[in-house]
Amino acid sequence: MSFLITSRRAGLILLFACLAGAAAAQSPDAAAPGGDTPAGAWTAPRTPWGDPDLQGLWTNRTTTPLQRPAHLAHRETLTDIEAAIVDEEVTSRNDRAPAPGNPGTYNQFWWEMGSTVSGNRTSLIVDPPDGRVPPLTPKAVEAILASRAGRGPADSWEDRTLFERCITRGLPGAMIPGFYNHNYQIVQTPGQVAILIEMIHDVRIIPVDGRPHLHPAIRQWMGDSRGRWEGDTLVVETTNFSPKSRSHGFFESAGTLRLVERFTRVAPDTIDYRFTVDDPETYTRPWTAVIPMHRTDERIFEFACHEGNESIPGILGGHRAAEAEAEKEKVKP
Amino acid sequence: MRLSRAVFVPVLLAVLGAEAGAQSPSYRAPRTADGKPSLDGIWQAINTANWDLEPHAARPGPLVPLGAAGAVPAGQGVVKGGEIPYQPWALAKRQEHRQNWLALDPEVRCYLPGVPRATYMPFPFRIIQGADTIIVAYEYASAVRTIAMTGAGDPPADAWMGWSQGRWEGETLVVDVRGFTDRTWFDRAGNFHSEALRVVERYTRTGPDAIQYEATIEDPKVFTRPWTIVMPLYRRLEPDVQLLEFKCVEFVEELMYGHLKKGAPR
Repeated sequence: MSFLITSRRAGLILLFACLAGAAAAQSPDAAAPGGDTPAGAWTAPRTPWGDPDLQGLWTNRTTTPLQRPAHLAHRETLTDIEAAIVDEEVTSRNDRAPAPGNPGTYNQFWWEMGSTVSGNRTSLIVDPPDGRVPPLTPKAVEAILASRAGRGPADSWEDRTLFERCITRGLPGAMIPGFYNHNYQIVQTPGQVAILIEMIHDVRIIPVDGRPHLHPAIRQWMGDSRGRWEGDTLVVETTNFSPKSRSHGFFESAGTLRLVERFTRVAPDTIDYRFTVDDPETYTRPWTAVIPMHRTDERIFEFACHEGNESIPGILGGHRAAEAEAEKEKVKP
Repeated sequence: MRLSRAVFVPVLLAVLGAEAGAQSPSYRAPRTADGKPSLDGIWQAINTANWDLEPHAARPGPLVPLGAAGAVPAGQGVVKGGEIPYQPWALAKRQEHRQNWLALDPEVRCYLPGVPRATYMPFPFRIIQGADTIIVAYEYASAVRTIAMTGAGDPPADAWMGWSQGRWEGETLVVDVRGFTDRTWFDRAGNFHSEALRVVERYTRTGPDAIQYEATIEDPKVFTRPWTIVMPLYRRLEPDVQLLEFKCVEFVEELMYGHLKKGAPR
């Protein structure tokens, strides 16, 4: 796979900043704790035709996990020193030798993890207050169990995630930082906002012209997005998700998801990005994450994923070889 | 008077070039906010270039059950002068590709189509024209490339969709694309290139709903000289038209990995 890193140097500079001292570990969006717009001074720029201007290259890399780790269950934030320690730990563990039997993965050269988000939050999820994805509904649990009953981990490619298959990370998945290539480029024209997503390569072209959603017969992995401006904020509502999204791992959705995203430029180099997952068929309550996006000055590279996907044939082939081996063992006297 | 071929060919090219440039000399495209000709919109080629860039008669397709639905339509070709100027070894290689189309064409495996093929695949694409960056988003395989209008620099690595530097020449967007892999084809007829490929594209609005598209293809490892394709691109005029998903990976997994499924015949 072409896992190209665009911002590694910037990542290292951030890392050094963190190691240099807790005071230096402040994220660039420190002026906007929790992502709130600071009072006064800042006036968001506008495009020549008068829309809020979100254009540019952005990255959302961070060491802050989507969900609050169990050992921090009662901690919404870290101290600056704790945050610096977490950042160092997350980056150094990538260079440790893998456990025996584990083929290992990319080392820190390939990963770019950034640092803890502003306000030292312990999770990107801010609602529910425990920082965790809420429990699935009984109906969703049943459907997931039924779809996986009697299946091994790699009977077919369909047992692997959409991400491993190089199809997409879907939504909101594609807007959540991963381990590398979490870069985005926003280009606006009158009536539309385009968000180029580096990872796996997706372009979200969001009409901001009041047109209706696609016919419900058209279901897509990335859904169908419509935008509107609310003051300085781009509000994007996405529906028409594929019902097959059920099978792709963490973000279980029965195609009933209604995703609402909000993009607000809160500083020259920061977009406050937040999304709310509203899917009563799947989750027992809606949930919201806040993920700052920071300006980067490096161009987006091609992410040719499927073209070099050795993972799927490797994983399936490995399982088939293991099964053949087990078969041989059985017939031995 | 007898013209030698060496004189005749450049004269012919000059005449053809003048004709192409003379399509609608008076048309002035609407402007973007920064005063450039606007190419913004959803466009699509209507021709059979993806079947074969060169002139070709209709022929049956390779899959009997598809019948007429799978047959190949005829086309007058899009190459200026008709034929692609292959070096002899490369012409032989093209013929090999042609014999083994289904096994070898990267399109069959849902691979990124490269440039210029992405332009004339049977799918729409959208030009999103920012001032510093133009995004070209193709429906096929969610393929995409960005055209940097300032300072793209040298290609940092080989890429399926290349590395694009744009500039304006009057009414025309000129895009210099380099940094290709050798793994894309030009069409389903086996036409190909090496990693030395360089493509110079020219996009010129010729009316409210049309772009004249030209691409000059240079690859000294494969061709005897640069050659040019030319075709109109048409605006998709349906109300509320938008690019839809054609994430074809899931349509090729059985083809590519079927033999590795549990219980598959081995």
